[in-house]
Amino acid sequence: MSQQSAFSSPGFDFSNSVRNNFLQEKGMPLPKATSTGTTIVGCLFKDGIILGADTRATEGEIIADKNCEKIHYITESIRCCGAGTAADTEFTTASISSNMELHALSTGRKPRVVTVMTMLKQYLFQYQGHVGAALVLGGVDSTGPHLFTIHPHGSTDKLPYVTMGSGSLAAMAVFESSWKPNMERNEALALVSAAVSAGIFNDLGSGSNVDACIITATQTEMLRNFVKPNERVEKERHYTFRRGTTAWKSENIRDLIVNEDITLVGATGDAMDIS
Amino acid sequence: MEPSYRIVPPSQIKTASINDTAGSLGLHDTLQYGIRSIATEIRGGQFENRIAKWEETQDNARLHMLANLYGPSAPMRLLMERQIVSASPHMPGMPQSNIHLDILMGRDETLDPTDFFLGLESGPPLSIHNEMEKKLRL
Repeated sequence: MSQQSAFSSPGFDFSNSVRNNFLQEKGMPLPKATSTGTTIVGCLFKDGIILGADTRATEGEIIADKNCEKIHYITESIRCCGAGTAADTEFTTASISSNMELHALSTGRKPRVVTVMTMLKQYLFQYQGHVGAALVLGGVDSTGPHLFTIHPHGSTDKLPYVTMGSGSLAAMAVFESSWKPNMERNEALALVSAAVSAGIFNDLGSGSNVDACIITATQTEMLRNFVKPNERVEKERHYTFRRGTTAWKSENIRDLIVNEDITLVGATGDAMDIS
Repeated sequence: MEPSYRIVPPSQIKTASINDTAGSLGLHDTLQYGIRSIATEIRGGQFENRIAKWEETQDNARLHMLANLYGPSAPMRLLMERQIVSASPHMPGMPQSNIHLDILMGRDETLDPTDFFLGLESGPPLSIHNEMEKKLRL
């Protein structure tokens, strides 16, 4: 009979760490993770929260995904935008979403934004910033609309308008000049689009389209590719070759069946006995 | 662990040992891990220690608070229940699940990365002999 440790394992395997340190010392670079670069924003308006994000995912200098989704689902009326390492943000938000569902079932109440924020910050603090997830969390619950920002080391802020990611300065400039409390829905949506567009056009790490998500007490509306300022134009000339440009010299059809030998099985007339 | 209010595992004195990399002869296994270098063994141990000891440290703080509120019998009783439930007759190499222990530890209402990876972070055990040795030496 052996004693199991009462505590669950941390979920990561460190047996290669000595080898990795050795390789790193010898000059071999660590593989680069897909990062989201990003401009993510959140803004409080009269009826709730609007979240906005761009849609470019980068891998070093290459664009890995031209239309990725950065606004992740947490619960029905809570959403989270993620910047930083794409895998980290997706895994963390998916994991917290599952935990929130279990929590809501266990307490019997509608989930609250502060609960999500606390779960996220405790998880990120535990990993000391190695989980590269910078998040903008927003939602409406029974206590009203809330907007939080969570940094990779676990610190949080509660603010009426937030921006994160490499394009955060461009977006924040737009917010600082035009945000005012109790905006109407259209005004707020235009402001969020302008902020994300500022990030898209002025930051290399952000690009492609604008996604927006409007969360109110009654419903959540996801506007995927709300603005598409970077659509590829159709080429002016056609570069395909017309049929018959090259004549073919010979044709050879190979039959896939080389040799076919049919043997009937059980067809000697043994019918089923149904007397 | 000694009773303390710490919620974050303390940083350990930097040590280098061959526990991680020892082969069957008890020496550093150069074939599998490369030439032995004390510098690489010291670096990177702090983070691993932090997340390995995280749950234990938080649990210890909680038990210490219970002891201060209700007396030393409260944590003693909880620890006794855990110990009774942890005795497992199964082989250590295979994935194990102990739902009674999960309920006692409060893990029945949460999902951790461990649950997603089902204990398969490192793949099947390379040698069952090593696993059995470790188990029976306990």
